[in-house]
Amino acid sequence: MVSTPLAPSSHPLAEYVHRLESGQALLKDTPKNVVEVVGILKSYGVVLDAYSRNLIYIAEHQFLRLFPFFKYFNGEVTLSKLLKFWWHDRINYEYAEYCMRSMLWHGGNGLDEYLDTDEFKNLAVRAIRAKLRGNPFMQGLNGLFPDFLPEQVRQSCYYSGLGQFWRVMSDMFLSLSDRYDRGEIQSIPQVVQHILNGLVADANRPITFSVEIDGETYDIIPKSVGLTFLVDTAVPYVESIFFRGAPFPGTVSYNAQAFQIPAEQGDFTYGALYADPLPIGGAGIPPTQLMQDMRHFLPDYLHEIYRKGKRQEDDLRVQICQSFQKSMFCVTTAALQGLAPHPLDTTDIEQRKANRAFLEQWMNRFVTSRVEVVNQ
Amino acid sequence: MLSALIFVPVLGAGLIFLLPTTLPSSRFRSITLVPLAGLLLWTIAIAAQFDLTQTGMQFTERLPWVEWLGLNYHLGVDGISLPLLVLNAGLTLIAVFASASNIERPRFYYSLLLLLNAGVSGAFLAQDLLLFFLFYEIELIPLYFLIAIWGGKRRGYAATKFLLYTAVSGIFILASFLGWVWLTGAQNFDYNPNLTASLPVTTQLILLAGLLVGFGIKIPIFPFHTWLPDAHVEASTPVSVLLAGVLLKLGTYGLLRFCVGLFPEGWSVAAPTLAIWASVSVLYGALTAISQQDMKKMVAYSSIAHMGYILLAAAAATHLSLLAAIAQSVSHGLISAMLFLLVGVVGKKTGTRDIDKLQGLLNPERGLPLVGSLTIVGVMASAGIPGMVGFIAEFMVFRGSFPVFPIATLLCLVGTGLTAVYFLLMVNRVFFGRLSDIVTDLPPVQWGDRVPAIVLALLLVIFGIQPNWLVRWSDAEAATLVPGYSIVQTIQTSAIEIPPSKEVF
Repeated sequence: MVSTPLAPSSHPLAEYVHRLESGQALLKDTPKNVVEVVGILKSYGVVLDAYSRNLIYIAEHQFLRLFPFFKYFNGEVTLSKLLKFWWHDRINYEYAEYCMRSMLWHGGNGLDEYLDTDEFKNLAVRAIRAKLRGNPFMQGLNGLFPDFLPEQVRQSCYYSGLGQFWRVMSDMFLSLSDRYDRGEIQSIPQVVQHILNGLVADANRPITFSVEIDGETYDIIPKSVGLTFLVDTAVPYVESIFFRGAPFPGTVSYNAQAFQIPAEQGDFTYGALYADPLPIGGAGIPPTQLMQDMRHFLPDYLHEIYRKGKRQEDDLRVQICQSFQKSMFCVTTAALQGLAPHPLDTTDIEQRKANRAFLEQWMNRFVTSRVEVVNQ
Repeated sequence: MLSALIFVPVLGAGLIFLLPTTLPSSRFRSITLVPLAGLLLWTIAIAAQFDLTQTGMQFTERLPWVEWLGLNYHLGVDGISLPLLVLNAGLTLIAVFASASNIERPRFYYSLLLLLNAGVSGAFLAQDLLLFFLFYEIELIPLYFLIAIWGGKRRGYAATKFLLYTAVSGIFILASFLGWVWLTGAQNFDYNPNLTASLPVTTQLILLAGLLVGFGIKIPIFPFHTWLPDAHVEASTPVSVLLAGVLLKLGTYGLLRFCVGLFPEGWSVAAPTLAIWASVSVLYGALTAISQQDMKKMVAYSSIAHMGYILLAAAAATHLSLLAAIAQSVSHGLISAMLFLLVGVVGKKTGTRDIDKLQGLLNPERGLPLVGSLTIVGVMASAGIPGMVGFIAEFMVFRGSFPVFPIATLLCLVGTGLTAVYFLLMVNRVFFGRLSDIVTDLPPVQWGDRVPAIVLALLLVIFGIQPNWLVRWSDAEAATLVPGYSIVQTIQTSAIEIPPSKEVF
C-alpha cells in the first residue's frame, strides 16, 4: 500500500503540529535547551521528592487535624528545624499545597468522580467516626456541619493523590539526570522519550489512600476502585497545573465582573504553559516558591549558565522559571505522544488524519501559550 | 577656620588639574573624594563648635581687600548659612561619589566640581555684598562647563540658557547692591541692615524688586523658571544633584539674607504680593509637573513648586515660617538630590526616562527593586508624608504662614496634594505593573548606584523623626530675622497684624 502524503496543516501553530508529527518536541532541539531542561528537571526532581513525601505525610498523619501546626515538619519537630522554618531557609511546601488545591478545584477524571460516589462517602464517614471517637466536641461540630469533615477527607485524597503522582515524576526526572550524566541523553526528543517511557511504565500504577486510626487501617481510596496513575492523576494534573491554573494576584489585575476571567473553568489559561516568568520573585506569585526551592538544587553546569546571564544571579528565579517552562513543554509533548490515538510515526493515512485532528485540537489551546516565546 | 571651606576645594582643584592625564578616571574620583570628605568633617566640626544660643555671625574673618572699592574679605556663619554649608559639603561628596567611573576628561570635571563647591561655600559665607556677588557669579562658570561639556544632546542650548538667565540674575542683584550702597551712603559693601532704615519705603521696594527678580531667577520662581527644566534635563546626574540640592539654595539663601534681612520694611509691604506669587508658583510648578513625560523634568518642575513654599514662608516672615524656610531649603536639597540620583540610575540602566515607555521597574528580579523602593521613599518625603523631613518642613511652612496669609497657604496646601498626584502618577506608571518590553533585560545595578540614595533616604527619615537636629541651628537666627514691621494683608477680612516676635521657638 502506498501512503498518501497528508496535506500541510493550516493551523496557526502548524509548525508545531508538523514538528510533533515528525517525532520532534514542542521545544526546539538545541544543545542549550537540552542542558537547561535536564538541569532544571534534576532540581525539580529533588524538590518534587520533598513535596511528595510531605503531601503523603500530611494525608496520612495529619488526617482531620484542624490545626496542623507542624504539618511541614514530617513528624520531626526540633528547635533547629523550627528556627530554620522561621528563617525560611526551607522547602516551600506551600507550593505543593497550592498545586493540590488547584487540582481539587479543577477536578477531572477518575479521582474527582470517585470522590462524589457513595462508596467514598461511606468510607469517609467510617474514618471520621473512628477519628472522632472520644471527642464529643468534634462530634458535636461534625453533627452541626456534616459536610465539613468529608470535604477535608476529599482534600486529603488529593494530598495523597498528588503525592503519589509526584513520587513517580520525581524518580523519573532524577533518573533522566543520571542518564544525562552518563551521556545517554543528548537531545530534546530523547528527553521526551524518557518521560514518555516513565509515564507508560507507571501508567497503571494503582492510586490508593488509607489512614491508620488507633492501630486500625481505614481505606479511603481502596485499590478496588481502580484509580491509576496516568489517567486519574497525571492527566488531571496536566490539565489543572499546565493548562488551567488560577488567576493569582500578581502584576495583572483580573476583574471577574468585567469578564476578564472566563466564566467556565475549562477555558482558564493561567497554567504553567501560559505563565509569564517575569513577575517571578514578587509577592503573590505562587510559582516564586517553586523557583526559590529549585535554586537550592541546581546542578553546577546549569548554575554556571545562569551566572553568565546579563544580571548574573540577580534574576536567577526568572531564569529558572524560563528553563522550567521549557521543560514543561517537553513533559507536555510526552503527554501528547502518550495520549495520541495512534503512534505519531504511523504511516497509515487514516491514523495520521486522526492524529492530525487530535494535535490540531490540542494546538487550539496552545495558541495563547508561551510555546512560541520559549522557541525564540 | 571658614576660609578653609573656600581654599581647600580651590587648592584641591588645582592639585587635581596638575595630575597626569594617564590616571584612570576612577582614580581622579577617589582623589577628589579625599578633600571633600575633609571638608565635610571640617564643616561638621564648625557646627559642633557653633554656639546655638548666640545670634549673629560666628567665626568671622575679616581682611581688607580692595579698600578703594569698599570690598572686604569678610566671612561669617550663622544659623541661616550653617545648614546650607553642611548641605553643600555633603551633596558635593555624594555627587562626586555618584559620578561615572569612566567619565571623560576627569581632571577638568572633578576640578570644576571642587571649584563649584568653593564658589557656593564662599557665597554662603560672604558678609560683604560685593564678595557675595563675586562668589555668586564665580560658581556659574564651573556649572556652565559642567552642563555644556558633560550634558545631554542639547547641552549647549541648556548651558547657554542657564548662563544667560543667571547672569541676568546677577546683574539685577549687583544693581540692587550698588543702589543700596549708593543710596544709604555706606562706606563699603559690608552687610549692615541698619543702614536700610534711612531709605524711603519706595526706594526700598525698588531695590528689593531688583533682588527679587535676581533671586527669583535663581530659586527659580514662576515666570523666571524656564532655564531650570532644560538645565536639569541636559545636565548629568551629579550636576543635577548639585543644581537642585545646593545651587537653587543660593536663591533661597539670598531671599532670606538680603531680601528679608536687608529690607525688612520693604519686605513687609511687599509680602502680600509675594505670598500670592508664591502660591501661583507652587500651583504652576505642580500642575506642569503632572503633564511631564520625562521623569527628570517632573522632578525639576516639582522643585519649582517646592521652592514656592520657601517664598511663602519668607513672605509670612514669622519666626516659625522663617525657620521653616531654612528647613525647607535643606529638606528640598536632600529630597531633590535623592530623586535626581534615582532618576539618573533609572535613565542609565534603562536608556530612557520616558514615563510612557517605562513600566514595572519594581520587578524584584529583572527590574530595579531597590531603586524603585527608594524612589517611593523619596516621593513620599516630597509629598510630605509624616515621619519624613518633607512633612516637618512643609508643616512648619504652613503652620508658620497660615496666620498671616491663610488663603495663599491653603492654595499652597493644594500644591502639596498635587505633589502626591504627579509623583504617584510617575510611581504607578514607571514602577508598578509588568515590566515593559524595552526593559526586560536590564544590566545589573551596582551598590555604588544605590549607596548615595540610601544615605539620603536615611537622612530623610532621621530628620523626619528628629526634626530638632535640623532646626536647632537656625532657631535663634530665625527669630532675629523677623522684620520689625507689621505685614498688612491685602484682603482686609483676614488682616492680622503680626507683632515682631523675638521669642525662641
